[in-house]
Amino acid sequence: MTLDTYEVIALFAAVAAILMLGTTHLRLNLTFYCLHTLAIAAETAWISYLSGEPQHLIAAAGVLVKALGIPIFLGWIIRKLDVDSDVGTYLPAPLCMHLGIVMLGVSYLLSNQIPGVNGDDATFGATSAIGILFCGILLMLTRKVAISQIVGFLVIENGIYLFALTQTRGMPLIIEMGLLLEVLVAVMITGLLLFNIKKSFEHIDVTQLTELRDQ
Amino acid sequence: MLSFAVGQALQIVAQCVGLVVSLMVIPPITVGTIRKIKARLQNRIGAPLFQPFFDLRKLSMKGETVSKETSWLFRATAVINLSIMLLLACLVPWLSFTPAVFGCDLFLIIYLFALSRFFTVLSALDSGSAFSGFGASREVTLALLVEPAIVLCLASLGVAFHSSDLCTVFSFTNTAPVPWILWFLAGSGLFLTSLIELSRMPVDDPTTHLELTMVHEAMILENSGTNLALIEYTHFLKLAVLLGLSTQCILHALMTRGIADELVRGVASLVGIGILALTIAVIESTAVKMRWSKVPEFIAYPVAISLLCMLIAVLRWTK
Repeated sequence: MTLDTYEVIALFAAVAAILMLGTTHLRLNLTFYCLHTLAIAAETAWISYLSGEPQHLIAAAGVLVKALGIPIFLGWIIRKLDVDSDVGTYLPAPLCMHLGIVMLGVSYLLSNQIPGVNGDDATFGATSAIGILFCGILLMLTRKVAISQIVGFLVIENGIYLFALTQTRGMPLIIEMGLLLEVLVAVMITGLLLFNIKKSFEHIDVTQLTELRDQ
Repeated sequence: MLSFAVGQALQIVAQCVGLVVSLMVIPPITVGTIRKIKARLQNRIGAPLFQPFFDLRKLSMKGETVSKETSWLFRATAVINLSIMLLLACLVPWLSFTPAVFGCDLFLIIYLFALSRFFTVLSALDSGSAFSGFGASREVTLALLVEPAIVLCLASLGVAFHSSDLCTVFSFTNTAPVPWILWFLAGSGLFLTSLIELSRMPVDDPTTHLELTMVHEAMILENSGTNLALIEYTHFLKLAVLLGLSTQCILHALMTRGIADELVRGVASLVGIGILALTIAVIESTAVKMRWSKVPEFIAYPVAISLLCMLIAVLRWTK
């Protein structure tokens, strides 16, 4: 049995998300994130081609904002803050990547159990979407540097978006535009917040932010 | 009927001639290409494209120095490895115009690679030099980490085709349509694996002679003359075969519809090897060699890609 093209593209997005888990180098992380988001934009464009709805606007906006804008902005922050890599993850990065693969297998089993998923047709889309969700969660749980947390959040958002896209074949334009704007604003605010955190604490290690300090 | 049989015989003869010519010509030229591109990227003119041929000729005319501490194994290894690698090059469908040898099981291929590595390590230990032992220890560690990747990449294709015969898998027929992502992942996994197997840049520097960093060079340090020529040629052949195998995977990803024209396929497989050689040269000019303790993190990538291949192959099978 063959996979449809949109399922293959969704799987490609999941693969890119899993490869993101394997490195602690922040620039490489952003490159993989860019690849991953490009795959999701391609998925949107493909589904718009299948359904004939104007989803290609979302695809173009996704490429512009999420695949290019956000990585460039985060790259600029990385250069300004002078951090290269994530030191001291809770789980070694290679192990985390292999755990991500296990979670992709688990999400295949899960997607067969979800009542909303309509049969054979959408299983692989749902598998990749839930797999991407797990990858984002793993990224947020195991990393300590705040930039990785932002990337993890973005990956989770992509997972949710992909799930909605593959299950409903696209949401209304206005909702998706709103989501995109929200993500952009969230990243901007957290990015600017990072500057201030770095200025007052001299590090961006989220595990140490629970300690109070007098200024 | 008779003319059909004659035509088929002629085709097989042409394929065999093609195989022999490519066995002699492609490996040194691939290495020459890599060296030339690296030189150009470093703003040097570089040695001519055919320099590996001249090197092999020079080495085979030189006298040989063999340590008196070594046994027969030290000299036999070069010949044993060359014959294993020639056998592999005849079995593995690394070019699309070579005769298809049905019955080349993927596990046979993997064990033949392991056998050649076993003899290399034995001869390194046999020479009694400290550096050779060092290199042998590293080589075995790398092999242990890399082997699952190459096994799973090939086995996932085998699962998708319900056959462990590599010639069935790489036959460009459309009997069992495999999604392009599986071919693509298997190809990139095999390419990353071959970077490690061939001791290329992120893991090992092929040009260095600094004892602390080298893996493959350390093992063959004691060889000279004809022996070294044989070992070098074996290494060139291994490079061509592994690059050819990943090229075939990526070609299949590009041609999932099945291309009937054999000429296009043959030229594409040669061009593919050239492109992968270019990729290696670019990687070696831009990347730095990894610290030995960081190497497992790099190897985790081919292993993860091969696990993904297996997952996709198995999930697709159950669908």
